[in-house]
Amino acid sequence: MTVYYWQQLQQNKCTMITSLDQLAEKVKNKKHKLKLAVTWAQDENTLGAVGKAVEENMVEAYLYGDSTLIEKISRKLGIDIDQFNIYHIDNETEAAKETVRLVKSGEADILMKGLIGTDKFLKSVLDKENGLMKPKAVLSYVCAIDVPDYHKLLFVTDTAVLPFPDLEQKVAMAEYAIAMAAKFGISKPKVALIGASEKMSKHFQNAIDYAIMCKMAERGQISSCIMDGPLDIFLACNKKSVEIKGVDTPVGGDADILLFPSLEACNPFYKGLMLFAKGELAGMLMGTKVPVVLMSRSESEKSKFFCIALSCLMADEKSHC
Amino acid sequence: MVLKKLSEIKKLLDNKPVKRLVLGAAHDLQSLGAVIKASNDNIISPVLIGDEKEIRKIASEKNYNLENVQIIHEPVIEKTSEMAVKMVSNNEADVLMKGNVGTSVLLSHVLNKEWGLRTGNLLSHIAVFEVETYHKLIAVTDVAMNISPNLKDKISIVNNSVSCLNMLGVDVPKIAVLGAVEMVNESMQATLDAALLSKMNQRDQIKNCIIDGPLAFDNAISLESAVHKGIRSEVAGDTDLLLMPDIEVGNVLYKSLVFFARAKVASVILGAAAPIVLTSRSDSEQARYDSILLAAATAK
Repeated sequence: MTVYYWQQLQQNKCTMITSLDQLAEKVKNKKHKLKLAVTWAQDENTLGAVGKAVEENMVEAYLYGDSTLIEKISRKLGIDIDQFNIYHIDNETEAAKETVRLVKSGEADILMKGLIGTDKFLKSVLDKENGLMKPKAVLSYVCAIDVPDYHKLLFVTDTAVLPFPDLEQKVAMAEYAIAMAAKFGISKPKVALIGASEKMSKHFQNAIDYAIMCKMAERGQISSCIMDGPLDIFLACNKKSVEIKGVDTPVGGDADILLFPSLEACNPFYKGLMLFAKGELAGMLMGTKVPVVLMSRSESEKSKFFCIALSCLMADEKSHC
Repeated sequence: MVLKKLSEIKKLLDNKPVKRLVLGAAHDLQSLGAVIKASNDNIISPVLIGDEKEIRKIASEKNYNLENVQIIHEPVIEKTSEMAVKMVSNNEADVLMKGNVGTSVLLSHVLNKEWGLRTGNLLSHIAVFEVETYHKLIAVTDVAMNISPNLKDKISIVNNSVSCLNMLGVDVPKIAVLGAVEMVNESMQATLDAALLSKMNQRDQIKNCIIDGPLAFDNAISLESAVHKGIRSEVAGDTDLLLMPDIEVGNVLYKSLVFFARAKVASVILGAAAPIVLTSRSDSEQARYDSILLAAATAK
């Protein structure tokens, strides 16, 4: 018994990660360095972020693509190419196949998309025989967003993959975000299911899905969270609004996770935070057996670096928080 | 006040004007017996409509005292239901009761657009049970009126039932939305409706009650069973109203309680301008009497 309580205490001691800078610090200088395989790496954006992650002692990089171009671009960016492991490969499809094989076999820990088109890249990831999906898993995307004006990190889903998630996909999205929050040391995140209003209407399929999900959370069918929805962004993230509106909600303006009803709602939301609220993000694909880094070109240098940091955190199975 | 027995409903009538009950097609042995008994106990003051000769014949055979009973003679039985309904809509009676006439006949008059008892609400049936093994009266809906209610119907049924239970002194009824399981299951519509009703209740879109569901029958009525399953619920184990998924499971539960658990039951139709006592042929005289009592207590 005593040992058990001691272990519990030790676990509770784990510090929570409350900012993306802290996330980067946490995954640096690990004894066992994670191996990052980059598909079709001859891309400025990609090499810049990977170079920084290598310099910060976060990962070892394995770059697959046109070796001449990779070296040329690296020099242009002022990155020391000796710190990379560069493998020449002739075409992008082959590069995708090889890098997917590498992480699948365990020779590398993290996969990252380079210059290759997203559709071709995802085709290899989703390949039934040789791909990286967990059995029957939904592919989705979760971002951890650091906004100066919000009192904690916000986990937002789905910013990139699922256009109109159905109930099953929404449940998967919630579970992915909850799993990610757990890695940050948030054991019972508050999940806000976002709509235009907090009212229930049988005419809105999203509201119906949300009500069902709340009951599933109540019954433990979705575990380790406090869930409520539909809620608008104010009720989800602003305590004052909750008081003014008098809505009885366990999320109460203190949301850790925002789940959006559609890509068209979620994507502009996160981009708005980046552009107008000085947000930075760390995002990754979810549902795969190993972390897959896939980011938009328009992301800031910092955010790209944070994406790699996040994949390191998620790859480390031993980390509780 | 928490009621444990149907007979305790009578206390709710103290110091209130006696309600007027109208019985159409009154030449009905069992109904007449219950009405006369309720009248003698000062629960209602009855008006009987029908063939006076027939009514008096039954009364003398059974030794019923008709001294304080108003009888409106109408030998054409088809007309009596219409007359009874009109008395209620003209505010000459507070409770409507079905006599020796088909349910559909009476309801067609109740639903008459000109002089019926429509309020815009769905009509629904509520049965209030006195079961020895439960710590208070427990209501069940809908076991007799709505066959396969959809979400909108279920909301109306809940609202009807809440008003009725309020009149019985249950200020914030605890409502269990029943399913076969307490988990949400996409292939069981009842569990999905239950989740939606719960959320609408949390958002105050269904007021004056606490709704939880899906709950399986055992978690709804036994706290021990709910705790055993790890269900956190304000309703579990202390349910005032069981909302049934459809009439088939509702009707079977109703009859199981009566025949296996020897439960006493009172039932009325809600949602019309006045409560309607609409007992079935198989109901005992006691059940009819208790239903009159329930109707008198829930009449405006």
